[in-house]
Amino acid sequence: MTIENPHVEKETQLWVGPQHPGVTGNMAIQVWLTGDTIQRGITHVGYLHRGFEKLMERRKFIQSFPIVCRICVPEPDTNEYLLAASIEELGGITIPEKAVWLRTLVLEMSRLASLVQQIGGGAGATGLGAVPNWTYTLRDYILDSFEELTGGRVYHMYMVYGGVRRDLPVGFAERMEATLRKIEERLPYIDKVTFQSSVWRERTQGVGLTDPAWVKEMGISGPAIRAMGFARDVRRDFPYLAYPELDFSVITSTGGDIYARMEIRRHEVVESIKIIRQVLQKMPKDGPVAAPIPNVFTWRIPTGQTYVRAEASRGEMGYYTVTDGSDKVRRVHVRGASYVHGFAMAERMFEGLNIADLHPTLVSIPTCPPEMER
Amino acid sequence: MGVEEKGKVPLLPSGVPVGSKPHATDSTLFAQGRPKPLSLDESVAFIKNWFRAQSLNVMAYGTGCGSIELGPLGTSRFDMERFGITGGPTPRQSSVLIISGYLSVKTLKRVIRSYEQMPNPRWVVALGSCTINGGMYWDSYSTIKILDQYLPVDVYVNGCMPRPEALIAGFKDLMDMIKRGEANGYIEYQNNLDWYRANQRKVIKDWNLPEYSW
Amino acid sequence: MNEFVQEIQARFEVLWSNPQRPDLMQIGVRQVNALPLLTWLKSNTGYFILNHFSAVDWIEDGEFQLTYLLTDYAARRSLMVCVRIDRAAPTAESVHHLWPEAVTYEQEMFEMFGISFPGSPRQGVDLLLEGWEDIPPMRRDFDTAAFAEEAFGFRPGRTHTNPRDRVAIAFGQKGFLHDH
Repeated sequence: MTIENPHVEKETQLWVGPQHPGVTGNMAIQVWLTGDTIQRGITHVGYLHRGFEKLMERRKFIQSFPIVCRICVPEPDTNEYLLAASIEELGGITIPEKAVWLRTLVLEMSRLASLVQQIGGGAGATGLGAVPNWTYTLRDYILDSFEELTGGRVYHMYMVYGGVRRDLPVGFAERMEATLRKIEERLPYIDKVTFQSSVWRERTQGVGLTDPAWVKEMGISGPAIRAMGFARDVRRDFPYLAYPELDFSVITSTGGDIYARMEIRRHEVVESIKIIRQVLQKMPKDGPVAAPIPNVFTWRIPTGQTYVRAEASRGEMGYYTVTDGSDKVRRVHVRGASYVHGFAMAERMFEGLNIADLHPTLVSIPTCPPEMER
Repeated sequence: MGVEEKGKVPLLPSGVPVGSKPHATDSTLFAQGRPKPLSLDESVAFIKNWFRAQSLNVMAYGTGCGSIELGPLGTSRFDMERFGITGGPTPRQSSVLIISGYLSVKTLKRVIRSYEQMPNPRWVVALGSCTINGGMYWDSYSTIKILDQYLPVDVYVNGCMPRPEALIAGFKDLMDMIKRGEANGYIEYQNNLDWYRANQRKVIKDWNLPEYSW
Repeated sequence: MNEFVQEIQARFEVLWSNPQRPDLMQIGVRQVNALPLLTWLKSNTGYFILNHFSAVDWIEDGEFQLTYLLTDYAARRSLMVCVRIDRAAPTAESVHHLWPEAVTYEQEMFEMFGISFPGSPRQGVDLLLEGWEDIPPMRRDFDTAAFAEEAFGFRPGRTHTNPRDRVAIAFGQKGFLHDH
């Protein structure tokens, strides 16, 4: 509002991030406000840019493994799987049955860890301090299982070309079961303070809305699209690894708001636990965990290109890989799951949003900056 | 008895003359072993450092992937608040800046800005191999390699990524250093500001940071 | 998938096609046909989602390759459209009016490869880098290791990247027993 024209609201420009406790990672949202309503916003990234795609062009195929898992920190295994799968497809390597199941197990465990963390993040974004305390601890139990299985807590580097590095430790299934039971025991508590709480419902329902019409224009995926009623899941649409043999359901909701997206995550945790139990049960007891591959120092892969995709907790993730007959990749393009969510979709969602709802909205999409800028 | 002879020192029952230092050979050790009284300045510094070390406020800026371990560290499993470490929402309310991993040049600019807004005394804890010498991004065109050329680092915690236990150990080291009055990176930064500025300007091409007048 | 390629062939010239997987078809088209083909695919077929859009530097051919990946989620198939453009004057037609996410893809490609998309809304605005003065970093002729050494430098001590040198330091110039 100005003195000359009381009907025109003054516009304020505000940077949310990169140094802000609210943004998801190291990114910034530049917003223009009238009052406390966001008129428009722009996502700024590049703060975590390391040039992975360039670094991979300089490394031999096997040397790329330690760096690809750094592309998305909460969920590194999807990156390892996608790199391994694309190079195996171009190099003509088939992985043994046992490795298929072990990879499925690791992918689902990392999905579970990430989903649990996102529930805590969503609750923490609306001011509930207890839920992050629970979920971070639950995630830590899963990380302990990871540490036992792979040797690494956050970054695992468990997959190699041809399979995985090692078999399950003795008694792993029982300890994993104990962890899963801990998560199941905690879920009713989380429900009580979030999904069943009228205050939290009031805060999240009808806020951060997405329009189902956007689905025809943009490559939205993951909980963001399933919250609009579209049962789209890479595990179902483009089955990979052992997912065709597993029994799980694709959770959908129709709200299209923060509540619907968080609710989908909460039910996906249950589905994910179901999948891990099935994998541990149906997995072949013995057999090789890796197929022989050529000498990694002299391995050359003929010219070819492919696109491999997998379902991360945030949506569809894909690797576009080009080889040119040399011992290094020609080009890798990482299509991060939240690339579309963070730029095109989020910038539309910001319009008309209250500034206080910006952070819960960002967490609920969610956005993962390192995979948007690599 | 009665009248003491002049010039003769009376003897104690043990046979040692009155006024002489008992056990003259051991006396040096005995005297130096006692705690020396601190001067006023020293006492104030001791108390100040002790309080500073017990209440560290970590700035909420996840600059890299190491910030994923700050979640478990801050919540109930590893619980850094039992050491008196807690989060600070803005630079002006915090005393510790955690550089959690690699720094791209774009982030370095924001980090410098944030660091210079922090009140003294302020400390920098750097996590990960990538802050020490580039780590696995040693040939990346986007990340800096040696952090202490641009910011004064008090404690390095190595590993990729450092576990929460390693972080706690790093914080304990920082607290001990503060108590001893050795964590003086911020004074070094002020004294050598020109050198730091030259390094910073070398990598940050579009320099538009404000010049502070401290 | 082959029938679909023939359907495209009836309208636009398809230079080559390669069924990489049962659910992934790759075709190559000329640059003049790229935008009409993509518009046709977007409006008339099920391939209306742009999954990913990037470039490959074929420096030895003097060309950039633009790759559009379109997906038909109903039929569960993908189509990869490859277009070669001239590397000396890299310009391509923008598709931001078809897909809003192409804006950032094009912004990124201008920054990383130097390919310009006239008409794209954020063309030339920095996305990932800030104050970049060198050649676009994703080009093959950009040497990132040399750039890093020149711009940032390494801490002394990190000179020996060859394992053989480390052996020489640890065991003397003779190396291992079997080495001499």
